[in-house]
Amino acid sequence: MRRSRFDIRAQPGFGLITLFTFFALYLPIAALVIYSFNGAESLSRWDGFSTRWFAAAWQNAAVQDAAIRSLVIATWAALIASIAATMAALATTRTKPYRGLTFKYALINQPLMVPEIVTAVALLIVFSRIKVWTGYSGLGYLIAAHTAFCIPFAYLPIRARLESMDLTLERAAADLYASSWQTFRYVTLPLLRPAIIAGFMLAFVISLDDVVITEFVKSGGQDTLPTYMLGQLRRETSPEINAIATVFLALSTALVVIFFFINRKKQ
Amino acid sequence: MKMKWMTTTAMAAVGVLALAGSASAAGELNIYNWGDYTSPELIKKFEKEFDVKVTITDYDSNDTALAKVRAGGHGFDIVVPSANYLQIWVKEGLLQESRPDQLENFKNVDERWVDVPWDPGRHYSVPWLWGLTGIGVNTSVYKGDINTSAIFLDPPEELVGKINVAPEMNDVLFATIRYFGGEWCTMDKDVLRKVRDKLVEAKAKWLAMDYSVTEKFPAGDYSAVYYWNGAIMRSRLKNADIKFGHPKEGFPIFMDSVAILKDAKNTDNAKLFMNFIMDPENAAMISAFAKYSNGIKGSEKFLPPEMQSAPELVIPEEFAKAGEFLLSCEPETQQLYTKIWTELQK
Repeated sequence: MRRSRFDIRAQPGFGLITLFTFFALYLPIAALVIYSFNGAESLSRWDGFSTRWFAAAWQNAAVQDAAIRSLVIATWAALIASIAATMAALATTRTKPYRGLTFKYALINQPLMVPEIVTAVALLIVFSRIKVWTGYSGLGYLIAAHTAFCIPFAYLPIRARLESMDLTLERAAADLYASSWQTFRYVTLPLLRPAIIAGFMLAFVISLDDVVITEFVKSGGQDTLPTYMLGQLRRETSPEINAIATVFLALSTALVVIFFFINRKKQ
Repeated sequence: MKMKWMTTTAMAAVGVLALAGSASAAGELNIYNWGDYTSPELIKKFEKEFDVKVTITDYDSNDTALAKVRAGGHGFDIVVPSANYLQIWVKEGLLQESRPDQLENFKNVDERWVDVPWDPGRHYSVPWLWGLTGIGVNTSVYKGDINTSAIFLDPPEELVGKINVAPEMNDVLFATIRYFGGEWCTMDKDVLRKVRDKLVEAKAKWLAMDYSVTEKFPAGDYSAVYYWNGAIMRSRLKNADIKFGHPKEGFPIFMDSVAILKDAKNTDNAKLFMNFIMDPENAAMISAFAKYSNGIKGSEKFLPPEMQSAPELVIPEEFAKAGEFLLSCEPETQQLYTKIWTELQK
C-alpha cells in the first residue's frame, strides 16, 4: 500500500481537511445522540445518564402512529420502486444503444435533479385535484409520491450490477433454449438479487427520511415521523425529539451498513 | 422456507396496516393545527363526549397550512391560523362564516378578545391560545423598573452583556418603534432612523439572540430577556428570582384562533368543537398542555396550580392599552423593516 508522491491522497494538508470535515459533519450528530440519553429536560446541560426519553417517546401514541406510518409507506414505496427500477435497468442495459437512451436515463433520474420543493408543490397541486375528484385521500398518494423519488435510488445500484455482469451466462441460457422469461427467472434475477436488495434498502431509507414532499402531500392524520418531528420544533424541543432522532439514525445507519456489506460480498 | 414465511407475514402485516381505516365512531373531525399544540386529553374528552373520531394533523408554519388548504382536497375541517394571517384566510374565501359568536359558550370569551381587528365580533374564529412578548429579568441582578423596553434597548449597567432577545424581526422592531413613540407600520424616516441606530447600539450590549431561554435564563447565563411570556413563566418556575414585565411603551400580542374551513365535511362536529373549547374547563386543558393563556373567562381555576396565579399569563389593566396585534404591513414597509433587520444581523 505504498503511495506514490503523486498520489492524490498524499497531498499535503489532506489529512487535516478530512479530519475537519469529519468533525463538522459528525460532531452535531454526536451531540444529538449524547443528549438523547440526558436525564434532565435540557438540550445543553448534562444531568446524568438516563433512557427516560426513549421510554417517553416509545409510549407517545402520536410517535407510535407516525413511526408505523413511516415504515408502511417506506416499505411499499421501496418495494414498488425496486420492481420498477429493475425493469428500467433491464430495459436500459440489455439493449443496443439507440437514440433517446440518454434521454431515458435522464427521465429515470429526474427526481435527483429537480429540486424537491418543486416536485412537492407540483404534487400538491395535482394530487389535491385528484383528491377532490375521487374523494379518496388515503395513503396511496404518499406511497405514489415516495415511489417516484425512490426509483432512481433503487435504479442506480441495479443498473451498475447489470452493466458489470457478464452476458455469457444469459447467452448460454438462450443457447439451451431457455425462453427469455426463464433466462430472466433462473439466471439474471438470482445474479441480480444482491443489487435489488441493496436498491430496495437505499430506497427505503430515502423514503423514511423525506420531509418536504410528505409535508405537502399528506392528507389528514398522515403525519410521518419526520413531519411529526418538524411539527414539534415550534415550541422548545425536549430530549424526546433527540431520542426519536437517535432511533431513526440507528435504523438508517443499520440499513446503509447492510447495503454496504451486500455490495461488498458481490465483489 | 422459513424466510419465505416471514416475508409473507411481514408483507401481509404491512398491507393490513396500509388499509386499516378509522375506528368506528358516529362522526369524524379533522383538525389541522400547529405541531405539539393540541392537548391529547382534550381530544380524548371530546371524542368520548360526542362519539366523534378526531384526527390531528400538524403543520409547522402559517404558509404551509395556507398553501395546502388553498390547493383544495385537503379533507380538513378546522384550522388554527395566527392573528396576522386570519385576514388572508378570510379574504381568499377559505373560511366559513360560521358565526361562533352565536354559540352557547361564546359568553365565556373574554371581552378583550371579541372585537379583535382581524375578526371583528368573531364571525369566523374563536380564541385558541394567546401570548405576548415581554421582559424577563433576574431580580437578584437588577432591582429597578422592569415594565419597560429600556431593559434591552437602554440596558442598565448591571444587565449589559447578559441580555437575550428573541430573534424575531416584528417583535423587536415593534418594541423599538413604540419606544420612540411611532406606530406599527410607520414609514416615518426620522423614527426609523432612530430605531435603527438604537438597535445597532443596543445589540452591542446583548449577549445573544436565540431560542434557548428556558434553559439558560434560569441557570443564570442570561440576566434579562425579551421573549415570549410562556417561556419566561417556565423559566420562573425553575428560578424564583425571575420576574416578568410588560413593556409600557408597547408589546406585541399573538393569538391563534380556531376557524372552520369552507369545504369542511364535518361542519356540525367542528361547531361542536368550537363550542367545546370555549368551556372554561376545556380551555384550561389547552393552556395546561401548551403553557399559554386561552382567552376564556373562568378557566383559571381549572389550570394546574403553578399556572393559576402566574403573572406572566395575564395583562394588568394598566398595561392593557400597550398590547397590540402585529398585522402585516404594506410590502414596501415590510421591505424597509427587513433592511433594518438585516443590518442588525451583521
